[in-house]
Amino acid sequence: MSWRRTILIGGVQGEGVASTGINLMRALAGLGYHVYGERKFSSRIKGGNTHMIITIGDDHVTCVESVIDIILAFDEESISFNQIKLRDNGIILMDETLTPEASLTQNINTVALPLTLMAKKHGSLLMKNTSAIGYLGKLLGIQRQVLESSIAKTYLSKGDEVIQQNLQVLLAAYDDPCPELEKIDPLPDAPHRQESMMILMGNDAIALGALMAGCRFMAAYPITPASDVMETMSRVFPDEGGLMVQTEDEVAAITMCIGAGYAGVRSMTATSGPGLTLMMEGLGLAGMTETPIVVVDAQRGGPSTGLPTRTEQSDFSALYHAGHGEFPLILLTPSTIEECYELTKEAFNLADIFQCPVVVMTDLNLSLSPQTIPAFDYVPAAINRGVLMSLEDELSAAKITEPFARYALTENGLSPRSFPGMPGGIHQVTGLEHNKWGRPSDQPANRQKMMDKRLRKLEPLKDQSAVHLEQRDGKMLCLTCGSSWGVLQQAVKDTYLSVDIGRISRIRPLPKRQLQQLLANYEKIIVMEQNQQGQLALILRQELNHQNNIVSMTRYDGESFQVQEVRHLLEGWCSEWK
Amino acid sequence: MEMKDYSNGIKPNWCPGCGDFSVLRAIQLAAASLEIPQERMVVVSGIGCSGRLSGYMNTYGFHSVHGRSLPLAQGIKLANRELTVLAAGGDGDGFAIGAGHTLHAIRRNVDLTYVVMNNQVYGLTKGHVSPVSLPGLKTKTTPAGSVDQPIQPGLLAVGAGVTYYAQGFSAQQEELVSLIAEAIKHKGFSLVQVFSPCITYNKTNTYSWFRENLTNVSEVPAHQTDNVDSALRILRETDGLITGLIYHQPDQPTFEDRHGLNQHDPLTSKMTESTEEQFSRWTKRFFI
Repeated sequence: MSWRRTILIGGVQGEGVASTGINLMRALAGLGYHVYGERKFSSRIKGGNTHMIITIGDDHVTCVESVIDIILAFDEESISFNQIKLRDNGIILMDETLTPEASLTQNINTVALPLTLMAKKHGSLLMKNTSAIGYLGKLLGIQRQVLESSIAKTYLSKGDEVIQQNLQVLLAAYDDPCPELEKIDPLPDAPHRQESMMILMGNDAIALGALMAGCRFMAAYPITPASDVMETMSRVFPDEGGLMVQTEDEVAAITMCIGAGYAGVRSMTATSGPGLTLMMEGLGLAGMTETPIVVVDAQRGGPSTGLPTRTEQSDFSALYHAGHGEFPLILLTPSTIEECYELTKEAFNLADIFQCPVVVMTDLNLSLSPQTIPAFDYVPAAINRGVLMSLEDELSAAKITEPFARYALTENGLSPRSFPGMPGGIHQVTGLEHNKWGRPSDQPANRQKMMDKRLRKLEPLKDQSAVHLEQRDGKMLCLTCGSSWGVLQQAVKDTYLSVDIGRISRIRPLPKRQLQQLLANYEKIIVMEQNQQGQLALILRQELNHQNNIVSMTRYDGESFQVQEVRHLLEGWCSEWK
Repeated sequence: MEMKDYSNGIKPNWCPGCGDFSVLRAIQLAAASLEIPQERMVVVSGIGCSGRLSGYMNTYGFHSVHGRSLPLAQGIKLANRELTVLAAGGDGDGFAIGAGHTLHAIRRNVDLTYVVMNNQVYGLTKGHVSPVSLPGLKTKTTPAGSVDQPIQPGLLAVGAGVTYYAQGFSAQQEELVSLIAEAIKHKGFSLVQVFSPCITYNKTNTYSWFRENLTNVSEVPAHQTDNVDSALRILRETDGLITGLIYHQPDQPTFEDRHGLNQHDPLTSKMTESTEEQFSRWTKRFFI
């Protein structure tokens, strides 16, 4: 049996709760522990309660646990909001200046610590995060040197004075004799680990995947929870001869990407619900003009501005049926950090091969939760640009009598592309229905042929598997994607539940052949998703023409699925189906 | 190079007498005078009668969606700065649905040219009011005559910091060719607004109306094209009804300059596999 220990760090937004969490995660990861951090924040910069839940374990941690062992509180709300999640005999570490309401019903050990005092005395008030790390680190049994190096790394850019002050605060807190803390059990020994590890979140992995795939142009508009991707590109591109443009809106962002993609550079944008709504126009234009682009949709609570800082998976319907009219579109749905990386790389190849828009769909928790994973190895990305104008076409440019047939009708629907600048490749592009030269045409026969050409391009993908199973000899299959996958993995771990679990990594086109097979193999498919209507289940029922054997497990209150909750629901399904 | 080298021979679907014929010819003549290789020129257009223009050029052409010619054109130019990129559209494109993009294109100063064919009416939708229609213009959506204040494109562009702004008239082809050629040569964002009469749906702002009401910058004493106040003054004094080069700041840094793009090969040349050295650089911060 593997073990888990969960800490909640809470305080007033803007006072360094997240940096305390990240510091602690780095220190623990450096010792060999596995960690996963989930951030809870609101749509404001300063003020309001915010917290980060960190689950520590001896093997790969795929989500945070529902039950918390330790709360570290910088403010009273962190206690009143979260003590319900605290386990029996749980510990609250709080600043001694706090006076929480005495509604403690359970058996709770509260330890008041001079977090503020230590910070003021040895550094400055701002450094109470550092004193908290000192106490917490000691309590967890982390060596002082490990904490020191983590602190030094964090404040590297702030200069020697700040580092020195923080180190003084850290040591004072670490060495402060506190008999109450000594009664608490330290963490079990860290697992012995040979492989090197990384700590990163989904948005980091997506940016990395795009860079490896040769993406050198991004246009985007800031939005939670997708902005990290454009921030990374802004930092990295200048050294690589790439460009990130912050546009006036999401319409401009996707349209600029289409321009850059048409010109021949691999280009992307990243957004969330409200921006995605504006991008529908661009998705249609890219689909109609057969221009490759990659869009990241980091889903959050909708509709409208919705829940900007809470996780949800409610864009399946909108994207599955994207835009007006019909056009080819690929939807990829990573479930892990590794898949964020790999599927983003693949997205650029798919966009080039099939000459259509590709959307990589994450959710807030997958995009923003840092976690430890085995380090990525350098593997050169196999760049496939799809069918391009041949050299002969280019050479015979001089004697060309008719323009380049950019939209030539072919058996698989894929027509060679040329880029502006290529002699012999001159052609027209239009969002109107067009003939093989890209010239407007409303002839019925041409229309039908062109519609069929565009929409048959993705046929081969329907036969390619996209459901990844973890078999446990189950009669039922619980299928999900995104951050819910990690919760599902943990929910069935170390149980005897007769449920196989699976994650789906492409929902358009659906892996129809494989899904039909799965429907034949299982008595029931439970689709676990974070939206009210069970959107993915609706799509599966419709596309697979199966009503009864596909059922929904949903959550849509802005919170992620909880391990206990999912375990209970699955137990319910199992007993009902005996 | 001649005008015909830039024509693909397709007969435009505009009404006979439409001002857009002259704009198309002027763009072709300007390209010929600058001897731009056809494969190195991209003409991007929006939607409306004017939007069809890109489809008549013997160059690369992209007929985009309503109001989006500028984001698309900027994407193309930034991806491959060796191309000559010209966006073309109508007053609805540039000053209604795409007005936000126009302001931001001006502000960025990407090195491309934007030609707006202004007929002060929505022609392709068969006669609806436009944001530059004059008060009193009767259209299907303003049966009693438009009462709204029109946008003044010149004041808007100069006020927003455009680095090249000129106005032409379809019936004055020679001047128009030279204004467009100079606009293409200008390093930065250039905007050429053309009075391009709609003979079908705008019975007010006709060729003869423009002949009577337009003045030319050559008739304005002491106009300095590099002086904002002078440019704003002549636009105000003429109520915008003036042709010629209104404003020109030749030495402003472009978006490409400011972002260091001119120090690198075009982005389109970067399609090589990423190296192990790059991978290490990008992943360093994530290692524990």
